Amino acid sequence: MQISDEAISKAVERYSAVRGQGTLANLLAFGRVLKEAGVRVSLSQVMDASRSLELVDIARRADFYTVLRSNLVSDKEEIPLFDRVFDCFWQEHGPEESPMESVEMTPSSSEEKRGDSVGAGGSLEEVIVQASSQEVKLSEESERIAVPTYSPHEALNKKDFSEMGIEESRAISRALLLIATKIATQVSRRKKRASKGEEIDPRWTMRKNIKYGGEIIQLVSRKRRIKKTRVVLLCDVSGSMDCYSRFLIQFMYGLQNELWGVETFVFSTSLSRITHLIRTKDIGSALERISHSVLGWSGGTNIGRSLYTFNREFAPSLVTHRTVVVIISDGWDRGDVGLLEREMRGLKRRCHKIIWLNPLLASENYEPLCKGMQAALPYLDLFLSVHNLNSLITLGRTLQKLVA
Amino acid sequence: MNPKKLTIEKIQEALRKQQYICDRSLATVVYLSITIGKPVLLEGEAGVGKTEIAKVLAQVMETKLIRLQCYEGLDANTALYEWNYPKQMLRIKLEEVSGRNREAVETEIFTEEYLVKRPLLEAIQSDGSTPPVLLIDEIDRADMEFEAFLLEVLSDFQITIPEIGTIRAKLRPYVFLTSNRTREIHDALKRRCLYHWIDYPVFEKEYEIVMTKFPQVQDHLAKQICAFMQRVRQMNFYKRPGVAETLDWASALVTLNRYELDEKTVEETMGCIFKYREDLHHLKEELAGKRLELDQMVKESSGLPA
Repeated sequence: MQISDEAISKAVERYSAVRGQGTLANLLAFGRVLKEAGVRVSLSQVMDASRSLELVDIARRADFYTVLRSNLVSDKEEIPLFDRVFDCFWQEHGPEESPMESVEMTPSSSEEKRGDSVGAGGSLEEVIVQASSQEVKLSEESERIAVPTYSPHEALNKKDFSEMGIEESRAISRALLLIATKIATQVSRRKKRASKGEEIDPRWTMRKNIKYGGEIIQLVSRKRRIKKTRVVLLCDVSGSMDCYSRFLIQFMYGLQNELWGVETFVFSTSLSRITHLIRTKDIGSALERISHSVLGWSGGTNIGRSLYTFNREFAPSLVTHRTVVVIISDGWDRGDVGLLEREMRGLKRRCHKIIWLNPLLASENYEPLCKGMQAALPYLDLFLSVHNLNSLITLGRTLQKLVA
Repeated sequence: MNPKKLTIEKIQEALRKQQYICDRSLATVVYLSITIGKPVLLEGEAGVGKTEIAKVLAQVMETKLIRLQCYEGLDANTALYEWNYPKQMLRIKLEEVSGRNREAVETEIFTEEYLVKRPLLEAIQSDGSTPPVLLIDEIDRADMEFEAFLLEVLSDFQITIPEIGTIRAKLRPYVFLTSNRTREIHDALKRRCLYHWIDYPVFEKEYEIVMTKFPQVQDHLAKQICAFMQRVRQMNFYKRPGVAETLDWASALVTLNRYELDEKTVEETMGCIFKYREDLHHLKEELAGKRLELDQMVKESSGLPA
């Protein structure tokens, strides 16, 4: 889901009053519209842009565009959105017609809602769900996914999570905190100085002993320091996982808010990044935001396609050899099993560990028979159950062993 | 080149003379960076010429290129400066014999003479008529801590050494940061830079690059190479080949005295384009299944305008 063109033009209209009051006023208005649309723009960037414009011939639309883009955009993902706002905002002023029609056809994956968007117009607020719109290439033929809203095959419901009781989740939150810390601490190869270390640090020993004229009197030792691992959570929120979704949201929320470097995604038939939606200390509003913006909650599942999107769009910047990828799903997959297998292999190659948490694993006669689960199994480092608090404690212990 | 008399066209032209073909938008960003003194953050897939632009610009501006290659664990000691401890110790030992005033020795061993300059300090201290080009390569490989530290250096262009004092840059270096997006760069750092995304080149641009670098390549072969690269970049390979691979391949084909692409040639030389076993395997399958439509491509490319 992405901000609609109408919403952009509405935002542009709202700032039409300041138009014609000089370049800086125009630029400031442009910056505000960008911000409302979800591009992160700071005032200093706008000022720099204004300074830069004095240096080029702004009658050349291409140069004008490059100056604004290089100053105001700082992420590749934000470029398509910037382009749309640019076309809409500067259309009367520029010599060329803006290609709005072609823009409307661009499909995009739903992503995230920027926390810092300025809440001006109500309609705008509702539709800004994703800041960086991205094209999702589905297959070699560049077949494109339609924007989920228009697909008849996906049961797209908005779920209301605001009814969740905070009291009952207290115990879970405590357990989550413990688990989260275990997952997130890993020994680093980098050393730090320590009074009781494993080895001598020659550089600092020399440094410290200069005051004795170079005679080695004091020894400085060092030890490996704890390095926080990055965690990427991929949560299945499809229909078959329905009864666990309340727990899932707790888990994602707890982990992300206690740790640095956690990225959270949910998937059903398509993938959405919700890191920004739950970056708040207030779980009530976090739930509100998610239920508003995540499409495909309780719909069908296509793990392969979601992983495909993840590997292409997000993994390059988020997953490193230190990243632990946690997938929470029951493995009931309606998509292409071959694709799922390929993507699992790709993911495995990139990351440190893949942990699959399956709530169904708890039932005694469960065997991972469904095809999706079968395909994923060879690539897992850990296959664990998560259905109640006890299983979480077990998970905590296992992870403790894993990282020790 | 005189930095005060620059224009976008001049930069583009000068870069072209040094065999770096860039489109107007990149030239504009470089021009802005030089004129307003803001660092450039270049992102793009591997092998599209991110590092190269800094190198070529140093040649164009007839100035020094100072390169800081980032890696995990890079810290201030390796990036900024370090005291030359062994030298300091030796000096102290020598002074012991002569029995000179202790304080005098102490001040002396904390002077520039005993400083090992690392790239960032070198860039800031550099004196000359033109500022140096400072290339901070693959910033995404360094840790977050280093990024924060870099922020300080890049916003004020000054470095404080407790024993000596603050060293300010006489001339602001032209700073280029590159990133392969293996992780997200912090917003604060991004905001201080001009951002530019270098995409894979379009056919015409890539053809121009090949012809500039290898004038001896036959026109027809160059077109085929570029058409082939354009096609495979749209396909589902684990690691898509960049311009660097195109040039490697062109060079290999020239060495082998090939004048035309056919399936056999592609298969023999595909190690230049793909570096992963899975990708090589995939390409073989595509070739065997005739899905690459090599003939079709050859036909199309021969009709394409130069």
